[in-house]
Amino acid sequence: MANLLWLQGGACSGNTMSFLNADEPSVCDLVTDFGINILWHPSLGIELGDNLQKILRDCVSGKIPLDIFIYEGTVINAPDGSGEWNRFAGRPMKQWVTELSTVANYVLAVGDCATWGGIPAMAPNPSESQGLQFLKRDQGGYLGAEYRSKSGFPVVNIPGCPAHPDWITQIIIAVATGRAADIALDELQRPKTFFQTFTQTGCTRNMHFAYKVSSTAFGQRKGCLFYDLGCRGPMTHSPCNRILWNRQSSKTRAGMPCLGCTEPEFPFFELAPGTVFKTQTVMGVPRELPAGVDKRGYIALTAAAKNAAPAWAEHDIFIV
Amino acid sequence: MAVQTLDISPVGRVEGDLDVRVDIEDGVVTRAWTSAELFRGLEIILRDKDPQAGLVVTPRACGICGASHLTCAAWALDTAWQTELPRNAILARNIGQLAESMQNIPRYFYGLFAVDLTNKKYRQSKFYEEAVKRFAPFTGKSYELGVTVSGKPVEMYALFGGQWPHSSYMVPGGVMCAPTLTDVTRSWALLEYYRNTWLEPCWLGCSLERYEQIKSYDDFMVWLDESPAHANSDLGFFWRMALDIGLNRYGAGIERYVSWGYLPHEDKYQKPTIAGRDAALLVRSGIYDGKTDQHSPMAQEFTRENTSHAWYDEGDADVHPFDRVVRARKKNSTDFERGYSWSTAVGHSEFGRLEAGPLARQLVSGGTHGDAWQYRDPFILDMYRRLGGASVLLRQIARMHDTINSYRQAERCLREFRLNDPWYIKPKERDGRGFGATEAARGALAHWIEVKDGKIKNYQIISPTTWNIGPRDNTGAAGPIEAALVGAPIADPTDPVEVGHVARSFDSCLVCTVHAHDAKTGKELSRFRVG
Repeated sequence: MANLLWLQGGACSGNTMSFLNADEPSVCDLVTDFGINILWHPSLGIELGDNLQKILRDCVSGKIPLDIFIYEGTVINAPDGSGEWNRFAGRPMKQWVTELSTVANYVLAVGDCATWGGIPAMAPNPSESQGLQFLKRDQGGYLGAEYRSKSGFPVVNIPGCPAHPDWITQIIIAVATGRAADIALDELQRPKTFFQTFTQTGCTRNMHFAYKVSSTAFGQRKGCLFYDLGCRGPMTHSPCNRILWNRQSSKTRAGMPCLGCTEPEFPFFELAPGTVFKTQTVMGVPRELPAGVDKRGYIALTAAAKNAAPAWAEHDIFIV
Repeated sequence: MAVQTLDISPVGRVEGDLDVRVDIEDGVVTRAWTSAELFRGLEIILRDKDPQAGLVVTPRACGICGASHLTCAAWALDTAWQTELPRNAILARNIGQLAESMQNIPRYFYGLFAVDLTNKKYRQSKFYEEAVKRFAPFTGKSYELGVTVSGKPVEMYALFGGQWPHSSYMVPGGVMCAPTLTDVTRSWALLEYYRNTWLEPCWLGCSLERYEQIKSYDDFMVWLDESPAHANSDLGFFWRMALDIGLNRYGAGIERYVSWGYLPHEDKYQKPTIAGRDAALLVRSGIYDGKTDQHSPMAQEFTRENTSHAWYDEGDADVHPFDRVVRARKKNSTDFERGYSWSTAVGHSEFGRLEAGPLARQLVSGGTHGDAWQYRDPFILDMYRRLGGASVLLRQIARMHDTINSYRQAERCLREFRLNDPWYIKPKERDGRGFGATEAARGALAHWIEVKDGKIKNYQIISPTTWNIGPRDNTGAAGPIEAALVGAPIADPTDPVEVGHVARSFDSCLVCTVHAHDAKTGKELSRFRVG
């Protein structure tokens, strides 16, 4: 049995929608099989108005023990640090966040907005948005670098735009079944069990990556999306090709370049003109190389790959 | 009896943050104000960005209607860049839009709306016990099935777009994917699963084919009485309970409706233009005026936004989205004369305020305007006429009825794909103005873009909730939800579940808290629990 409260700040509800896609366990299974008591959730909660405020106040006062506090969306500080542009239950949402974070055993930031600031924090960041404990790659965010929840954990960051439902439900179950001590976090406070691997790990286009065969335009039936179409799969930490989306596929499998949405810089280059779905290059070499590879190594590797590439690699492979 | 004012902040199970104030006289709402309480400034963020930035940013405007935003963003760029699309690409966009809508229908009905039927207020209804068995959150038989099955249509979306929500697979010139045979056959299997697991056995209690014979209110009544399986299906049960608890008796609204139409025909919109859109749509656009029982065409140039009662410093005049420059007001204090919402008041240059949503879509599709090959369905329009207008009940029936067309249109896409033909034609980037629109599950959605010097000069979005939740305009006219709340009976001011019914019948994208105030003194009368 664990009490869970889920609130949304500067959010699109995309993580909630992703969460509702969950299967094994479904959201209903979490409640009925794992004893997760959902105190309130913006799309699922029965209470509204003062009844909801009472739940929030009871959590803050300790009358209701708050085991897991999930936050979706940015913390909005506008205008001028007041947070009045995002009022919730009678006052700025940021005030609820402050008080609930003090009493929660575990705080989960779900999605890019809550982890790093995401889309709302893009320049010029009109809503003065922050993530819970980061703004982009800078530790601190709204709660500050020193923040620890009652269990001693910092905010557990489950990034992604949106986060995959499994990434959310498995962490909830880990906490609820007493396995929280096994949750190892990386330097960005992401659970390593999900975010040590790359988006490219398990991608169906890996052979084309290896032989440097490029998808030069969308809608092709072969090729890797890294060389021309701006795919960030080799530089992005996520299990998108290990734990498939909607049980079926992934962006890169379907032909869409990875946008790097589990990393704090998303959306990369602030979507400046010329940067969308196009690999940024300097003298023909990608400006950003696969993680850990240097420029000389890259040039040697791709030259060798081209020489070694078998004829079939240039033919359509994902055929009807 | 004195006027009572209730301030409700927030109303849950709507997306975003919604506050509602209502004046109550003799137990009936006489005036209402709706306030959207969250501002993220996406239009401001998009200024000076890459022309394609909208493909990444706007699906993230709304996690529920992300594919609908993507659809608009892509078509807006297509019209601005004057692209050409292969027919497969049009079908692949349409199936993404449809998959999202089919996801949304059971998720909305069970997750957001029907749980209120288990409110203790209805304990006296003979349907109450059964409603709890079916609709109680997490444990209700239909709730659990409906929420779980809602994930299936978006598995189909993932086969074309990689993931749902938040893919950007629709791009100017087509789509990113090149689906294979198994993507199509798996999609068929997922559609069948949706139909065999929920739509027929649970929602309809009959085959799709039997239900599709219903063309009028009388046909529906015959269907209802035909078999216990029909009467006891979730549809039949909901209908009977809704009448018992009076959901047919309030929530009428402004009685004028707008639909952008959607689903461009794969052979008729390969060279998309703003002007050519309406003639290319499988599901027609239009306006239905319930007061005169007349249908008229709808076009983007009629759209107006008014910020006289919103938190923007942009003057009191109506402006077209192409002419709008968003200037957020720093101090967003609530003033019912000057500003009380982040939503603008959207209207039509001649017809004024209009209601958007599945009811609007169905009422428009019942008209005789347009061409014979376009989707035409008289059922909901007939029911509207027979019931004497809209209500909380009719909005639900229209929304759920819409599922059937979505299902059939998705089947059609799967049949029409020519897998060996192209999916994308690389476009040339250029400056210009574009417009893209669709029907999201919850109604009319449109994007306007102006590209200048290779970057975004202006980007404007009008969502269905903007049409519906908007505040008063410069004529003082109330928005659709504000109008629909008038006349709602509030049996117990400490538990105004009726306000929730009306707000949620529009499937607004919003959230609310409830305080009760004396209208004259503003003094809080009581605090109460809803649920």
